[in-house]
Amino acid sequence: MAETSFGITGKGYVIIASDTTSARSIIKMKTDEDKIKTLSPHLLMSYSGEPGDTVQFAEYVERNIRLYQIRNLYALRPSAAASWIRRALATSLRTRKAYAVNLLVGGYDTASHDPHLYWIDYFGTMTEVPFAAHGYGAYFALSLLDRYHDPEATLEEGLATLKRCINEVAQRLVIDPGKYKVKVVDKDGIREVEV
Amino acid sequence: MSRSYDRALTVFSPDGHLFQVEYAGEAVRKGTCAVGVRGKDVVVLGVEKKSVLQLQDPRTVRKVVMLDDHVCLAFAGLTADGRVLIDKARIECQSHRLTVEDPVTVEYITKHIAGIKQKYTQSGGVRPFGISTLIVGFDPNDTRPRLYQTEPSGIYSAWKANAIGRSSKTVREFLEKNHKDDLTREESIKLTVKSLLEVVQTGAKNIEISVMEEYGKVTNLDLAQIEAIVSEIEREKEAEAERKRSRLAATAAGQAAMSSRADTETAPPDAPSQ
Amino acid sequence: MARRYDSRTTIFSPEGKLYQIEYAMEAISHAGTVLGLLAKDGVVLAAEKKVTGKLLDLSATKEGGYGGSGEKIFLLSSNVIGGLAGLTADANSVVNYARTAAQQHLLAYNEEIPVELLAQRLCDMKQGYTQFGGLRPFGVSLLYAGYDPHYQFQLYRSDPSGNYSGWKATCIGANNGTAQSLLKQEYKDDIEVKDAIGLALRTMSKTMDSTTLGSEKLEFAVLTLDPVTKQPKAKIYRPAEIDALLEKEGLAKKDEDTEMKAA
Repeated sequence: MAETSFGITGKGYVIIASDTTSARSIIKMKTDEDKIKTLSPHLLMSYSGEPGDTVQFAEYVERNIRLYQIRNLYALRPSAAASWIRRALATSLRTRKAYAVNLLVGGYDTASHDPHLYWIDYFGTMTEVPFAAHGYGAYFALSLLDRYHDPEATLEEGLATLKRCINEVAQRLVIDPGKYKVKVVDKDGIREVEV
Repeated sequence: MSRSYDRALTVFSPDGHLFQVEYAGEAVRKGTCAVGVRGKDVVVLGVEKKSVLQLQDPRTVRKVVMLDDHVCLAFAGLTADGRVLIDKARIECQSHRLTVEDPVTVEYITKHIAGIKQKYTQSGGVRPFGISTLIVGFDPNDTRPRLYQTEPSGIYSAWKANAIGRSSKTVREFLEKNHKDDLTREESIKLTVKSLLEVVQTGAKNIEISVMEEYGKVTNLDLAQIEAIVSEIEREKEAEAERKRSRLAATAAGQAAMSSRADTETAPPDAPSQ
Repeated sequence: MARRYDSRTTIFSPEGKLYQIEYAMEAISHAGTVLGLLAKDGVVLAAEKKVTGKLLDLSATKEGGYGGSGEKIFLLSSNVIGGLAGLTADANSVVNYARTAAQQHLLAYNEEIPVELLAQRLCDMKQGYTQFGGLRPFGVSLLYAGYDPHYQFQLYRSDPSGNYSGWKATCIGANNGTAQSLLKQEYKDDIEVKDAIGLALRTMSKTMDSTTLGSEKLEFAVLTLDPVTKQPKAKIYRPAEIDALLEKEGLAKKDEDTEMKAA
C-alpha cells in the first residue's frame, strides 16, 4: 500500500504515474522499477499490489492484448481492453490463489478520438474516471484532484496537477514513495515524461 | 464404414505412400505462387495476388501475414486452412514470450508449425493441412535473415531462395539459375519480382512484395514501386532481346557473307538479310 | 472405387480437391438468393424465401419482428445481421453459433463484436468441419452486414470451406452469377441506403424465378446508424412493410386480391 500510482485525464491525453520502489517488508530493494506497461500503441497500464502477482499478471495481460492486435491488425479499444482485464482479475479472484493486483488503465481511443481512464482494484471493481489513484497516496491526492482537475487542461497543466499530488504525498505520508515514472498517452502514442 | 471416422484417414498404401499427404500437396500446387529470397542482410517475400473482383474489398485478401513483430509468413493452398494454422502460430509466438520472456526464433516457430502439420498426418479422423508456408524473419539480437519452408507433411527446411504454390517448380528453377549469395536489398527485391514474373503474366498489379530488413522492420512495397521494378526488368529484357537479335543478325550476316563468298562463282553476291 | 474420394468424409482427392466442399457449394447454388449491398450510410440485405407449399402456414411469419421474420435473415448481434443461403437446418445451427460467439465477445470485452471477427469465428468453425473426422461440411453460405467503429459499415461473405471475403455488393444462392453482373453494372461507390434499397429490390426481382414479388417470397433488412444515439440499428422488415416497400418501388404484385394491403 506504500505503493502509489496516479492517473489523470486532460484534453486529448491521459497521464499515468507510478512510484518506482520495490519493497519487501520495511526494506527498499530497488528504486528504479517501472510499474507501467505499454499494452498497445495507445494503451498504458500501471500495476501495484502483491509483489510477484503484479508482474505475473501484467505480463499475462500484455501478451493477450498483443495477441489480439496481431490477430486482428488493430488494437483493442481502451474500454474493451479494460473490460477484458477486469474480467481476468474477477475470474482469478474466484480461484484458490487470486492475483492481488490494483490497476490503472489509461488509453487514447483512436476510433472515437478521446482519452479514457479506468480504475480497477483487486476485487475486479472497475469504474471509468476522470482521475484516479491507488495506494495510501490516494488519501491525499483525491481531494487535491477534486479541487484542481480540469478535463480541458493542457498537458502542462495536467502535469502541474500531478506534481501537486506527488509533492503532497511526499510531504504528508510517513514514507515518501520517492521517484516517480510518468507516461503520457495521446493521439501520437505513448511517451515518458519527466516531472 | 460407420466406424471410419475414428480411423486415421492418412494411412500407408501397400507401396509405402501416404496418399492424403501427397494429395494435400496437390492442393498447394493449385494455390497462388509465393516466393522467398534471402539476401545479405535482407529477406524478401513476394506473392502472386489474385485480381480482386470489381465489387470486392481488397482489404480482406491477405496472403502475407505477420506472426509477431519479427516473423512474417506467406502461404499457398487452402486459405481457410491457412487462417487456422496462422492463428495457432500467433498464439504460440505470444505464449513463448510469456513463458521464456524472449521472442521466438524463426526456426522455432517454423518447427512449431511443422509439428502441428505433422500431427494432422498421423491423428485419427483428420485430413492434413492443404498448405505450404514460407516463413521469414530475423532472430532476436541477430542480423542474419532467415527463410524457411514448411510442407503439408510436416517437413521443414531452410532456404536461400524458394517458391511454393502454382508453377513453383518453374520459379524454383529460375531462382536456382539466378540466385547469388550476398544479394543487396535492391537485388533481392528484383530477383523476387523477376522470378514471380515467370508465372504472373499480368505484371505489377498482381504482385505483392514484403521486405524485412532487420529485426521487426517490415515494409510492403506499394503498387508504384513494384511497377517501377517491373518496367525496369522489362527494359532489361528488351535490351537483352535486342542484343540477342543484333547478335543473331550479325552471325547470320556473317554466315551469309561466308556462304555467299563461297557461292560467288555460281550466283551474284546478293546476301539475304537473314 | 471411383467414389472413393467423394463418398466419405472430407478428404483430399488425387487432384488436391475437397469434393465434399464442392458438393456443399453445389447445394447452396440451388438455395434461395441472398443479396447484400454496402452503402455509404448503411448496409442492405434482401433474401428470397422458397415457399414449399400452398398450405404452409406463414401466419406466424406475418408478425415479423426484430429477430427476423422467417428463415433467411437473422439478427446475429445488435450490430450484425446475417443472410443465409443453403440447408435450413444447418443454417439454424450456424445462427445459433454466431449469436453465441457475438455474446461471448460482448461478455469478454463489453463491446459489440467487430464484424470481421464474427465472420472469422464462424469461418474457423466451418473450416473445422472440413478437416476433422467423420463430419460433413456445413451446407451454408452467409452474408454478414454490420457496423463497427474500426471499419464502419461492412459486408462479408463466407462459404462452406471456411473462406470469407469483404464486398461492396454481392450475392449467394441461386442465380448469383446473374445478380452479381447486374450489381456490377448498377452499383456506385457513393450509393446511399435509400437508393441501395431500390437497387437491391430491382436486382432481386430480376433474378428470382417468379414474375411478381411479394412479402411471402422476400425477406428484407437494413442496418443503419441511429441518428440520435449513433449506434448501429438493425431493421428487419415485417411482411407488411416489405409489401409497402415494393409498392413504393413499383415492383409489387399487380393483382389486388391479397390481404396484404390491409396489413
